[in-house]
Amino acid sequence: MKTTTKTILVIAMLLALTITAQARIKMVALPERADTIIRLDNPNATLIEEERVLTLQAGLNKVDFSWKAVSIDADSIRLTVLDHPSKVKLLNVSYPPGEAALVWEVACDNKDGYAETVRISYLLRNIDRLVTYKAIADKEETKVNLKSYLVLRNFSGEDFDKVEVKLDYGKSFNKGIDHEETKQMLFFGKPEVPITKIWTWDSGKLQWDPENTPGKNIGVPVSYRIKNDKKSKLGEYALWGGKARIFQDDGSNSTIFLGEDRTGLVPVGEKTELYIGDSRDIVVTQRKMNETRTNEIKNNADRLIMYDMDETVVAKIENFKDKPATLTMIQRIPGEWEMKDSNVNMKYEKINANTLKFEITLPAREKDGPAKKELKMKYTRRHIRR
Amino acid sequence: MKKLLILILALIPAVASAKIDLSTLPTRDTVQLTIYNSADLTLARESRQLTLKEGINKLQFSWANTLIDPTSLEMIPLNDAGNITIQDLTFPPRVRNLGLWNIESEVTGRVPMEITYLTSGITWRAFYMGTLSKDEETMQLAGYVRVTNNSGEDYENAQTRLVVGKVNIIDQIANLAQRQYPYDKPGAHSEMLFSSYITKSSNMRGMAVAAAPMKRMARSKAKEIKKEGLSEYFLYTIDGTETIENQWSKRLPSFDTKDIPVVNLYKYNEQMYGRSVSRFLSFKNDTKHKLGKEPIPGGTMKVYRDLQENKHLSYTGASSFKYIPVNEKVELNLGPVQNVVVKPTMMNLITKDYRYNNSGNINGWTEVKTMKLEVKNTRDVPVKIEIKRNFNTTYWEIETAQKYEKVDKDTIKFTMTLKPRTEKTFQYELTTYKNENYKIWKQRNQ
Repeated sequence: MKTTTKTILVIAMLLALTITAQARIKMVALPERADTIIRLDNPNATLIEEERVLTLQAGLNKVDFSWKAVSIDADSIRLTVLDHPSKVKLLNVSYPPGEAALVWEVACDNKDGYAETVRISYLLRNIDRLVTYKAIADKEETKVNLKSYLVLRNFSGEDFDKVEVKLDYGKSFNKGIDHEETKQMLFFGKPEVPITKIWTWDSGKLQWDPENTPGKNIGVPVSYRIKNDKKSKLGEYALWGGKARIFQDDGSNSTIFLGEDRTGLVPVGEKTELYIGDSRDIVVTQRKMNETRTNEIKNNADRLIMYDMDETVVAKIENFKDKPATLTMIQRIPGEWEMKDSNVNMKYEKINANTLKFEITLPAREKDGPAKKELKMKYTRRHIRR
Repeated sequence: MKKLLILILALIPAVASAKIDLSTLPTRDTVQLTIYNSADLTLARESRQLTLKEGINKLQFSWANTLIDPTSLEMIPLNDAGNITIQDLTFPPRVRNLGLWNIESEVTGRVPMEITYLTSGITWRAFYMGTLSKDEETMQLAGYVRVTNNSGEDYENAQTRLVVGKVNIIDQIANLAQRQYPYDKPGAHSEMLFSSYITKSSNMRGMAVAAAPMKRMARSKAKEIKKEGLSEYFLYTIDGTETIENQWSKRLPSFDTKDIPVVNLYKYNEQMYGRSVSRFLSFKNDTKHKLGKEPIPGGTMKVYRDLQENKHLSYTGASSFKYIPVNEKVELNLGPVQNVVVKPTMMNLITKDYRYNNSGNINGWTEVKTMKLEVKNTRDVPVKIEIKRNFNTTYWEIETAQKYEKVDKDTIKFTMTLKPRTEKTFQYELTTYKNENYKIWKQRNQ
């Protein structure tokens, strides 16, 4: 047992069997902490499992477990007897007044006693993990070298000399971590994870007409889509949420920083889209060309109560890039509406009742200007109430 | 620290502030604590050997720095009852926390006496640790009780009994314990107080009769807690005796049952738990689940999962639950999860069948919504999922290929089991009849 002030969890075997509140005798054989596991599989709580060898005498033994300046959930403390569970029994637990401590009363049914290995587990606060990602895209932006780092933050008040850090999957780490120490470790590295670069223009989020914002570009958000599956050389386990920094190989043995985003948890089979920044080489100009009320219904007081609306929306899409691109265009139509297939000039997927998704492939720019496409939708919004 | 003092007074000074000549100081022979958890209330019953002489004996009982309710003090001779009369109990003026008993005795010698009183400051609570098997089909359930003594008095070698149940009290014992005058001054509600008091303490006496005989504790094995029902209460009697010093707490094992079959259920219910899936763990307090011998007192439960490698554990979550009578289901809400996902999406909306009132305003219409439900299990074990959908109206019709169950007038429930790492998508079409259009619903459905 280290006697430095930093070791805050103390376990003591009490030889004297009388414990009084006035004079609690804490001392004697202090068993060293042996194998220790920090289990980080639950994002809400960190479980510590530590093994200690208790020198038990025949009969009753009192074992004092105390902590100072660490936050332990006392109800979570468990003592598991590992060597002789049928001979060594935990009888009860006492909590001394005004102390962060407990006293186990352990019965040992062996006339010579035992050097018994026990495991003490408890939930410890202020120790957790983060996950971060670093992705380096190739020049063509078709794949990334993806690295995931595990960041262990120990502000629990306790130093851990040698511990095994276990996550819910993947390999464990053997590391020591002191109080107020933060450790970053490589969790996994996958050199060639395929990505899809996507440009997304959302009519509900972006300015429709760049002419209305003179002197300012309307950037089209750019993301990399990564799928957590075998085909992408991933898919072994869920990817934890965290911050991802994305770089790109600049083709001359260096990289540039493309941007960063935060991803949520990505279960196996799911995809994540990391937003890296805005493209100003794809320009969308969307205008409403028609808005006409029809089927007006008035009440007896001649007040309009309900109507339909014929609307025409035209979106001009220009690609100024020297490469082809696929633009994901999100169009939103509120309420109840109808659109005949013949009244829209491109294929779309209905994501929900009010959202349409178009995947528009754009060729590279031409000699004399950008590549152009035009989306035209003519629809009727129904039963609009006044 | 011992704060309850009993002095037998050789002289007969009427006031305690006068100099007291002390003849004997009897110690406590046995003590029994019956601790409630629905109220801050403990019934203490102690026996002491008093040495009496023939004639009037004065006995002084003091309880400074404790939380004893003086109106509950009672002394009963355990032997020679016919020859000993407790004449009165006096609370002298200008002295706090002190009572004088006048005992008329026709015998001389040692007489065992029982003193009972109520005190506050001793509490107990139940808590539990559940350990799921790796496949999560069974659970080991360990129940504990934690007794805390903040009463100001040390109770050594006390037989300890815990009462599960809700007891009615009119006054807080802690308040009664801190009064300047035990029964307050005239003009206060002392009469009512007194009568309520008697009823309560006699209730408890009835319970105490059923107590197990005291015995020295068996020191090499964990104590057993004997459980028995009494009236509307459940009494837990801890094997042997316990010493619970003032300000200490003690945790005692109550039961430990292995291999309880459990049901893992994931629920999606926007009204109750918002837009995430919540994990539930349930079992029944019955013999089929290796329980059912007694009610389970409410408390919090921490759930772990046995990783089946050298007894290592993983922490799953915690939940609190209410009192569970025998044969009732226990359902633990372990909170929202990310590894099981339910995503409802409205895919289409149309309205129709508008009707108008005499002024030409809309007073009825029908809405048809197409809903898509995507359900995903990303875990490595199969999961059972229950999805509740509330329609906010009685006038609804549904069309779907997916099996469902009507829960109440405006709620349905889909239940399904998904294999590890699988997903399922289904749709339903919901028609709701608004305002006066309920008439259409009635025609169609009645």
